[in-house]
Amino acid sequence: MNAAYVVYRKEIRDAVKSRWLAAFAITFAVVATLIALVQGQGGALGSQGLTRTTASLVNLGLMLVPLLALVLGAASIAGERERGSLATLMSQPITSTELLLGKYAGLTAALWLAIGLGFGGAGLLLAFVGATAGLAAYFGFVLLSAVLASALLGIGMLISVLSDSRLKAIAIAVLAWFVFVIAYDLGAIAVALSLTPSGRMLFLTVLANPVESVRILSVMGIETDLDILGPLGTYLTDTLGRAGTVGFLGAALAAWTVVPVAIAAWLFNTQDS
Amino acid sequence: MLTATRLGKHYGKAPALTGVSFELHPGEVTAIIGANGAGKTTLIKCLLGLLQFEGDVLINGIDARKKPKDARRHIGYVAQTPAFHPDLTVSETMVFYAALREVPVEEARERIASVNLDGEQDKLAGALSGGMRQRLALAVALLGSPPLLILDEPTSGLDIASRIELRELVTSQRTAGTSVLLSTHWMEDVPYIADRALVLDNGRLVYDGSTTALAGTEAAGSRLYLRLNGHSKEVAPRISELTGHEVRRSGDWLVATCPPAQKAAIVESLVASGVHVLDFRVEEASVEEAVMRFRRQQGDGR
Repeated sequence: MNAAYVVYRKEIRDAVKSRWLAAFAITFAVVATLIALVQGQGGALGSQGLTRTTASLVNLGLMLVPLLALVLGAASIAGERERGSLATLMSQPITSTELLLGKYAGLTAALWLAIGLGFGGAGLLLAFVGATAGLAAYFGFVLLSAVLASALLGIGMLISVLSDSRLKAIAIAVLAWFVFVIAYDLGAIAVALSLTPSGRMLFLTVLANPVESVRILSVMGIETDLDILGPLGTYLTDTLGRAGTVGFLGAALAAWTVVPVAIAAWLFNTQDS
Repeated sequence: MLTATRLGKHYGKAPALTGVSFELHPGEVTAIIGANGAGKTTLIKCLLGLLQFEGDVLINGIDARKKPKDARRHIGYVAQTPAFHPDLTVSETMVFYAALREVPVEEARERIASVNLDGEQDKLAGALSGGMRQRLALAVALLGSPPLLILDEPTSGLDIASRIELRELVTSQRTAGTSVLLSTHWMEDVPYIADRALVLDNGRLVYDGSTTALAGTEAAGSRLYLRLNGHSKEVAPRISELTGHEVRRSGDWLVATCPPAQKAAIVESLVASGVHVLDFRVEEASVEEAVMRFRRQQGDGR
């Protein structure tokens, strides 16, 4: 059996056994259901189905999922190093790349399970009670959350490889979360606009942050008219079109998923265990 | 079995290992001796490919730098303070490492029993005592019966009974044709366990030879305390002649320094010449003392 696969299985088993997977799946499900119920009280659940639920969930989901993925990734290698089990593992017939990829694949699968069971389960429940309108956009967001989790998990693992203690890694991960999720909206986009106030500059700023890329893709799933995005929407409609925008953002997300993991694997291979 | 050539390792600018070369042969037990900080653990970690290093390591003909995974398939390793995933039970830990080493689960269960941990199978690895964790590490190291066993300070923290058990295990591994490389800073373990010794001092190899020869060197000197029934004044020069060292007095005792292999001969000679030996005791040189003497000898030789 491939060594990476052995590590992958262990990571999933650890996630189930430690109950974090169940805890986050329940949290995601409760959050999605509560939002739908709040919308339902205003009568929107019946008339608009899950569309407004998805719109509200985008903001909340894009805070929770990145935090979980970054922290899990950050604790992975640094945690092994701190408790000394990294040396025990690396004295076995396994390469550092196999160990890192096995951990990445296992944690990704566990995150997908938590998102799928939580957000996905809640979506199925709501569809079952009749909220079928906007179901495709809702499940599109669930899928995008999973993709975002994969990208940020890779960034978390890169932080983990570069950190000499678990606590330090988690602290840097929380800082990265703050930058990607909170400060970016307030700071980076404002700075970019003050330099060159154009739709193109805004789009480049969006590509440079996986959270923003997912936010735009999620909005595109809900809204047919991109003008809701302001100057950015106008630029996307006029220059790239829907398919072009999805292509660019999809490619950016793929790069955000692959590049940090590749850098982490390369650095990990050059380090002492 | 293992060939290390000009091994070197630096931590920043500080050298931890310099030009260390040696070979290990099948069925041979070799002890790496050195004071704390001499480079024993660094050497072992280089052999395992856990550290980036200069020089070459071949394990069963496999280049440990180019193919570390293949090389490690031939090695079982017990760290000085073994660490496992604390939330896995003993049984789960063994099954996990058996899968990594591509060994059947049945063997994992047999190994648990062979290190007397069968009563602790459901205990979490994080809840094991130091001694039990060492046994678990040994069980993991023996998975797949690797031809080379590397033990880093295996006797540290063990009680007398466990130390004897470990010596028996090393002997049985040697009989089975396994090469064993173990590090220790307890000189007294060496003659009982190892055929050959490598002495490290500040990251340099200062002795590579048999443990018997090591025991016969001045460097590994023993201190022999003798309480005699009179005749001390006449006997002291005679002992001095035998050992080549001055004999000093400490209260009722004569204190002679000699190679470990000479102790019995001195007592025998005294008894044969009619001296009544009332009491005697022996203090073996610590590794630190032995290495200091090696250093002094090397300095004298230059």
